[in-house]
Amino acid sequence: MGVISTDSPDSAAAAIARPAMARVPLARTAVFGAVALLLFLLVVLPFGWVLNNSFHDDLTGAWTLGNYARIFQSADLLEPLFNSLVLAVATAVIAVGIGVPLAWLVSRTDLPFRRTIRVLTLTAFVTPSFIGATGWILLAAPNSGWLNALWRTLAGAEAGPLLNIYSMTGAIFICGIYTVPYSFTMVSSALDEMAVELEDAAATLGSGTLRTMLSITIPLVTPAVIASFILSFIQGLTLFGVPAFLLTPTGIPVVTTKLAEFYQLFPPEIFMAAAYCMPLLLVTAMLFWMRRRILGRKQFVTISGKIRAGRRIALGGARWPAFFAALLLPLVSVFLPYAALLLVSLTRAWGQGLSWENLSLHWYWWALFGNSETHTAIVNSLLFSTLAATLCVMLGTVVAYIVERKMVFGASLFGAVATVPIIIPGIVMSVGFFAAYTRAPLNLYGTPLLLVAAFAATFLPIAYAHGGSILKGIGPELERAARSLGAGEGRTFLAITIPLMGGGLLSGWFLVFIPIIRELSVAVFLITPKTNVMTTLIYNAKDGGNYEAVCAMSVLLLLITLALVAAAGPLTRLTSARRTSRKTAPAEGALPT
Amino acid sequence: MSGIRIKNLRKSFGTYTALHGIDLQVPNGTLLALLGPSGCGKSTTLQLLAGFEAPTEGEIWADDVLLSSARGVLPPEKRGISLVFQNYAVWPHKTVAENVAFGLSIRRLPKAEIAERLDRTLRTVRLEALRDRYPSELSGGQQQRVALARALAVEPRILLLDEPLSNLDAHLREEMRYEIRQVHDLLGLTTVYVTHDQSEALVTADRIAVMKSGHLQQLGSPEDIFERPSNAFVATFIGANNELAGTSEGNGAIRVGNHVLTAPDRSGAAHGARVSLCVRPSQVRLFGAEQSAVADEGCNVLSGTVLRSAYLGEYRDVLVDLGGGRTLRAFVPPAQSFAPGSVVTALLPIGSCQILGPAA
Repeated sequence: MGVISTDSPDSAAAAIARPAMARVPLARTAVFGAVALLLFLLVVLPFGWVLNNSFHDDLTGAWTLGNYARIFQSADLLEPLFNSLVLAVATAVIAVGIGVPLAWLVSRTDLPFRRTIRVLTLTAFVTPSFIGATGWILLAAPNSGWLNALWRTLAGAEAGPLLNIYSMTGAIFICGIYTVPYSFTMVSSALDEMAVELEDAAATLGSGTLRTMLSITIPLVTPAVIASFILSFIQGLTLFGVPAFLLTPTGIPVVTTKLAEFYQLFPPEIFMAAAYCMPLLLVTAMLFWMRRRILGRKQFVTISGKIRAGRRIALGGARWPAFFAALLLPLVSVFLPYAALLLVSLTRAWGQGLSWENLSLHWYWWALFGNSETHTAIVNSLLFSTLAATLCVMLGTVVAYIVERKMVFGASLFGAVATVPIIIPGIVMSVGFFAAYTRAPLNLYGTPLLLVAAFAATFLPIAYAHGGSILKGIGPELERAARSLGAGEGRTFLAITIPLMGGGLLSGWFLVFIPIIRELSVAVFLITPKTNVMTTLIYNAKDGGNYEAVCAMSVLLLLITLALVAAAGPLTRLTSARRTSRKTAPAEGALPT
Repeated sequence: MSGIRIKNLRKSFGTYTALHGIDLQVPNGTLLALLGPSGCGKSTTLQLLAGFEAPTEGEIWADDVLLSSARGVLPPEKRGISLVFQNYAVWPHKTVAENVAFGLSIRRLPKAEIAERLDRTLRTVRLEALRDRYPSELSGGQQQRVALARALAVEPRILLLDEPLSNLDAHLREEMRYEIRQVHDLLGLTTVYVTHDQSEALVTADRIAVMKSGHLQQLGSPEDIFERPSNAFVATFIGANNELAGTSEGNGAIRVGNHVLTAPDRSGAAHGARVSLCVRPSQVRLFGAEQSAVADEGCNVLSGTVLRSAYLGEYRDVLVDLGGGRTLRAFVPPAQSFAPGSVVTALLPIGSCQILGPAA
């Protein structure tokens, strides 16, 4: 035939050729869909509602910019912003001013009892700051505080109170001492991880100890110091419990307590509260961006070397004075407040003073078994935290896996969404979940699910980052090997990836469980009497003046937290122990090769 | 035609093109080595074969099954292709036996058959005694054999080896080459072996595909590749080689500086095109000024001064400066010694020289 075909039969066949199983499997679509939906519900929706609400009027519900205008026009709303900044700056200065020298003493010098100081600082780390504040109210309330009472017996009954914890200074002190552990941990781990060779190299070139410190050690830890300053600043800015306990009674408002006030008005100004979240969000977002830039550029800080050998800077005659100085932080953040809480919780009636007849375990029995309210809160705390930590780690790990292995187009968007809550202060998270889930069609108010979801969302960034860092250590070939042997994606994830993550997953679980069980601000607008947790119960009960019960609950919460911290290390090590069969015979290694 | 057929395979990552349209056939039962320097596209080809990447263009067939095309990819687990990784990828949380049996349990085989095939495979790679060990208790060579056994146990249609020996020490590497060839002879699996080591390829492969910058340079038997390289890149990449750049004078002649040299012309280049004269250093003969150059066959004759001379026991490696920035390497009998700076005459037997074009 004379017709010229442009398609050779071969290329026509190629055009229709398509591998038999190239369709996207149903299970894969279902998993990605579920992950996307969860991220939407936990992060996008609450945040979206806060944003949307901020542009609406509380009375009429109409679209408005009035809420934002009010922030800048009303002194009532500007004052808390200013107070929050003062609190944040002062907190960061204290945290870095104490945390950095302490880190250096513990990591670099021959300070006596270094390990003990480290453990005590970590104890301060896991102590919820509002419980610390409760302890200090017992110690330094202007009239009843024990330290003030002691002062009066020394200086005479006419002397005014020595300390007043109900003041800006008091709040700064509490925020400061409970934020020191953040800067301490960041800087000391930077010092610990710094390759000893870097300092040795300077020493071999003739540099003395001081010179080496000034030109090598300090520049290398500077990014960690700056980052910890930023983190401490954010902490001071976003803490809710401490200002609520110490500043609200004296009428000094900060942003976080002002937010709570909007909810207590009648009618509550919920849309106004949403707008009032924005300055806070703006500052935290900016600070995290700065921190990321600083840490991102100076990646060399974490270049790890060998575990530091025994060589340490000798403090000489300053050893013991330095030790007592280092002991000050645990004294004010752990010993004194814990002792106060413990003593009060063990008295039948605090007002009757210390005596043997007054000592009893009554309030513990009461809290655990006698009172249904406290009993419910304890059960709820444990249950919600367990569920939330599990959900958080599962979701964080799956998102990290999808991102790390670039499993779908736009995987990094999943990661970005999972990271967003890091810039959202707990109190704003609470506002967001209240906004999103107290309305149809997803009215979850009063259900445990609301708290579990809010907790999981708040700590998702930790679980996600932790999962990602474990996965970075697992070569993709280990998974590809399973694929090429016939295992599908799901089977590979369950049979290879999850077991290899092993102990890391468990440590990640503790890493989110511990902050969840001590979290107050996220829960504060979301609880109902049925879904009360220990933290909110303590927060609400301290106004009732039943200090014995509050203290007993606080001690119980501390005990649970400390027990978990103590258990986390050994448990994690147990599951991640490098596998070796029992019948190891080193000599057998020389088999025919 | 059966075996692996790769048709016009292209792969781009963004603006970077890793493979520029490769055509390859691997007949059933043969061992093909994909040989080339890093970045040549050999590993990309392997990832495409295994199904971990989708081609930008082109097709991969195994017998009569289309495995990959730009329109879709049969997932790795459905291909019946086993892959042995460069870093072994032996699972640290499973014992040797558990590693090897993994693929069998995926296939839901009866217990007895799993046990039987596990034993047989472990015997093949001589790992019976280590079956209950964890990988952390094995040497590199033993882990390598676990990886091989794991890949073989499922009786794959095709076996892929990705630089399997590059993490082993030199001594072990040499032994494992023969072992891999031996296993291939035993099982007769269609095998693709990626390596950058030419001697590994020469020892193990039935056929060698030389690649560079995403292009296939030559496909042929080890003898073809070594003795009849298709271009100067292949000649230089396989074995030691002298490459004297010049321009074609046509009719088996090349102009190198002021000299016109003759050699079999395999470049197919036009008059005036840039070509090279290639000759192995072992074929070059050197004579000092006091000796008279004796040629028993047609030779190209060049003169120069000795730059350096290294004694390597079995021969001397002499580098001669030909002037004009050109040098010539010659492997001469150890008895012949030349002091640096001495004037020498080099004879290049015409039969051992080839005029070759540049790489594709």
